Amino acid sequence: MARPAAVVGIGQTKYKRRRDELSLEGLVREAALRALEDANLEFSDIDAIVIGKAPDALEGVAMPELSLADSLGAIGKPIHRVHTAGSVGASTAISAANLVESGMYDTVLTVCYEKQSEGNATWALSGGKSGGQGAGGTFAPWIMKYIQQSKAPEHIGWKVAVKDRLNALKNPYAHLHIEDISIEKVRESPMLWAPLHFLESCPSSDGAAAMVLTCEDKVQRSPNKPAWVIAHAKRTEFGQFPGRNTVAPQAGIDCAKALYKKAGITNPREQIDCAELYVPFSWYEPMWLEGHLICEENEGWKMTDAGDTELGGSFPVNMSGGVLSSNPIGASGMIRCLEAANQVRGTAGDYQVEGARVALGHAYGGAAQYFAMWIVSSELNPF
Amino acid sequence: MTETHAIDYTMEFPYTRTVGPVFGPFLTGLRDGKIVGNRVNGRVLVPPMEFDPDTGKPVELDFVEVGPGGTVVGWTWVSDPSPKHPFQHPFALALITLDGADTAMVHAVDAGSIDAMSTGMRVEPQYHEDRHGAVTDVHFVPEGTATTVAIVPGEEPVMITEHSIALRIQEELHDHRRRFVEGLLAGRIIGQKSPVDGKVYVPGRGYDNMNRTLLTEADEVEVADRGTVVAFTQITPVQYHGQKETEPYIRCSVLLDGADQPVLGIDIRDITMADFRIGMRMQMVWKPEGQRDASDIDNRYASIPEGCYETWKPTGEPDVDPDSLKEHSW
Amino acid sequence: MSANDNDIAIVAFAQTPSYAHFNNSEPEMIMPLVNDVIGQTGLDRHDIDFTIAGSCDYLSGLPFAFVMNIDAVGAWPPVYESHVEMDGAFAMFEGFVRLKCGDIDTALVSGSGKSSPGSPRIFTALQSDPYVMAPLGVDHVSLGAIQARMLLEAGTVTEEELGAIAVRCREAGAKNPYAQITDALSLEDYLAQPLYNAPLRQADIAPTSDGAAALILARGKKAYDLCDNPVWIRAVDHRMESHHPGLRDLTTSVSTRTAAGKVGLHDGPVDIAELNTLFTHEEVILCEALGLGDGTKINPSGGPLVGNPTMAVGLTRVIEVARAIQNGEARRGVAHCSSGSALQQNLLVVLEGDK
Repeated sequence: MARPAAVVGIGQTKYKRRRDELSLEGLVREAALRALEDANLEFSDIDAIVIGKAPDALEGVAMPELSLADSLGAIGKPIHRVHTAGSVGASTAISAANLVESGMYDTVLTVCYEKQSEGNATWALSGGKSGGQGAGGTFAPWIMKYIQQSKAPEHIGWKVAVKDRLNALKNPYAHLHIEDISIEKVRESPMLWAPLHFLESCPSSDGAAAMVLTCEDKVQRSPNKPAWVIAHAKRTEFGQFPGRNTVAPQAGIDCAKALYKKAGITNPREQIDCAELYVPFSWYEPMWLEGHLICEENEGWKMTDAGDTELGGSFPVNMSGGVLSSNPIGASGMIRCLEAANQVRGTAGDYQVEGARVALGHAYGGAAQYFAMWIVSSELNPF
Repeated sequence: MTETHAIDYTMEFPYTRTVGPVFGPFLTGLRDGKIVGNRVNGRVLVPPMEFDPDTGKPVELDFVEVGPGGTVVGWTWVSDPSPKHPFQHPFALALITLDGADTAMVHAVDAGSIDAMSTGMRVEPQYHEDRHGAVTDVHFVPEGTATTVAIVPGEEPVMITEHSIALRIQEELHDHRRRFVEGLLAGRIIGQKSPVDGKVYVPGRGYDNMNRTLLTEADEVEVADRGTVVAFTQITPVQYHGQKETEPYIRCSVLLDGADQPVLGIDIRDITMADFRIGMRMQMVWKPEGQRDASDIDNRYASIPEGCYETWKPTGEPDVDPDSLKEHSW
Repeated sequence: MSANDNDIAIVAFAQTPSYAHFNNSEPEMIMPLVNDVIGQTGLDRHDIDFTIAGSCDYLSGLPFAFVMNIDAVGAWPPVYESHVEMDGAFAMFEGFVRLKCGDIDTALVSGSGKSSPGSPRIFTALQSDPYVMAPLGVDHVSLGAIQARMLLEAGTVTEEELGAIAVRCREAGAKNPYAQITDALSLEDYLAQPLYNAPLRQADIAPTSDGAAALILARGKKAYDLCDNPVWIRAVDHRMESHHPGLRDLTTSVSTRTAAGKVGLHDGPVDIAELNTLFTHEEVILCEALGLGDGTKINPSGGPLVGNPTMAVGLTRVIEVARAIQNGEARRGVAHCSSGSALQQNLLVVLEGDK
């Protein structure tokens, strides 16, 4: 059977609309070197590298593992590149965990990034054509459907938008620091894709995120507490087909089931201490609470409304500020995974959930059809 | 193949690259008429690097001017340049070790003729009149043949280099797409019906993904030009390179009668959000035959192009119960 | 012959021909292969534990093209699936790694690409350093040609020897039903060809092709349940070199040599090698780096010089070796995949049959 993998190093860049002082190499190195420093390791200690990012057309650099190889200390080593749309950051983390778990590579560096300011994501998503709807235009009808079927009041979306931005004020890496964020401000911001307002949508960021994962035998080389990868799961379904549930896609449900089973979790709401969920548009917080079986159907918005998902609530979500506060697309999923690790390592700073032992990192992508999730814990056998 | 079935499209974008602490001085140097490398572990690297290439470790920035002359250590004669190359006449791409450098860089040599090229030959930079901090501000020529360009150094260091990328895509419409377009031009909407489960897809994709079955012309059926709204949102256009939309509009999916998959991306510009509903019955109002334009259709397009219809108007029929549309709403 | 629990085998494979232009969608190219390999094993689609694809959406200029490809591999009910933005051989690497974890038994691997609608030379120029090379259009043909000249001028190889490689691959291709370039070529024809990217002639350069490949991997005893004659993957490894030509010795392939050591290439005889040679001269470099001698048949399929489906060409090399082993033409062999220009990144797979 597979041997366990642990996160022993975490590195993030400052997320910003344009990191105008950095090249692409500088961007990935800022995260990678911080992860190595956290792990007290050097490039020479790394056995393999996995990188991930969203489409090459975002920066106009094809297969960037080739031009970034030198900067990531990959010369003479295996390096490969994962791409699973918006879920790529979490898929890449899982791929790195697999390299360790397989027994083939002891210590793996994984890096995800996007430098959105080099190009234009909406342009790229439109295939360069006019009339592109962007991700918001794709998800808005499904959000509308969720609101109708769950009977959720309209302020739920605004509440999530405020909560995540308040959390971001505690995270020095977060892109958006909106000191005066308020329900009114969100509500009064322009409507982009009904029912989504501007402030209910993720920003466009430059940034990179990195982790060092290693095997049990080598955990002691790193001075800081490890985050054990207890379980991970991925599921994919078609983006369009008759009978598709676009509000709670079956792939998301299956992914959660597989994940909890592997982790030994029977009651996710109780056994998971906090979660970093991929919420690029406010309403996806309640939708994923339901869609990943953390609560019953149509109950997710009630958790949000009751303040359960706030820092200090009974099930904190996106303590770091989430995708709503920082969105370097290809890295956004990895940030969820590494922020989950930060929580169980006790290294989440001002947004630490006290006593967090078990945390969930999650990402989704495409037409809400790619799911990648992991559970990390401060203990190798938390249950 | 007629011209209406040829896709010839250029996906073009002016990328803006922030250059960082090392490519910045290098590109600033080119703009200002000099070539800059950096000293790393006793070697002079050209182009300069942000780190030690042997170890990946950070390095102290220690820039050094090299050249201007250099020696060709490897080369090829590009007899049939691509649009991306700096010259559209034959030229050389060469590895050039500049005087004072320990590593060779790739650059273009405009030598006139392959006979003028040889390994070991001496070259020198030919700066361009128009320079803005890009590797294309210069090319190389055989030593002694560069013409003098008056260079006034710029005031600000180069922080951003622009790189316009154009990818030209040329292909024919796939066969089933061609038949779909021919149908539209003739006033018919053609879908593909799975022989396995009878589901009808509009436009067809050439296969039924649920049953992993390829579909052919024999599986094609006509569907109605009226149907039911199954999903919609209001789009406030985000501005980007090539975006032509400026005003908000409704984008909806319409399940045509006889289809199991909605037609996506129908844009409605003459109905307000307040009056728009899921379950609403809509009729496509065709443009007159001969005035229909389906040239927006490519091999990925999942809609009916706006050039084929005047508008979509409510039929006035009672709304369909939204619950009954669950299977088809995306 | 019995298998260890953690031995992994290829139990089914299929490939499309190399098309100069396949005028239908990428999913339509892949779907028949997926149905073929599933049929070979007798599995139900949903018995397959893991699905992994390799493709590149920038190749045809369509961001998220790989999302459409899941239509071909099947994803309803939902599947455990992932994607690498690389050749299908790297997808196979991911599948191999995943099976090595020991908790699942089977993986469906595919690789696919359509070069024909786009501009392959511009695409490969965009792989090169975005600050100092890509704006100059430094593409794989040009870097390959610089590398070829270095070999020629070092006296490692002659034009006639490059021509002999082109002629031999063309002869082999004429017998390969999947080949795209099947015209006969004599050494005289070769030498009479004008230089294209001097010193390379068109006949030195792989065509650009559309195509796909797929295979199924199985672990341990499961392999015998699904196939009478599984081909075992003894080892996989891949290694990267510097991106900057000025920092490399272009006349050799250090990364291939490193990978060959890691996979234990010479722990047994190497009967066959299918190499991802995009140019004739790459065969010279690779054979030297791999230490291959007369006992090894090189690219008996004709190799990429007769058919080069980008993003599937490496996985096709694996299939060609597996086929030769199943046919009894070889017992042990190596498949090679390369990524980037001038052999920047190299992957090796050592394959072995039971018989």
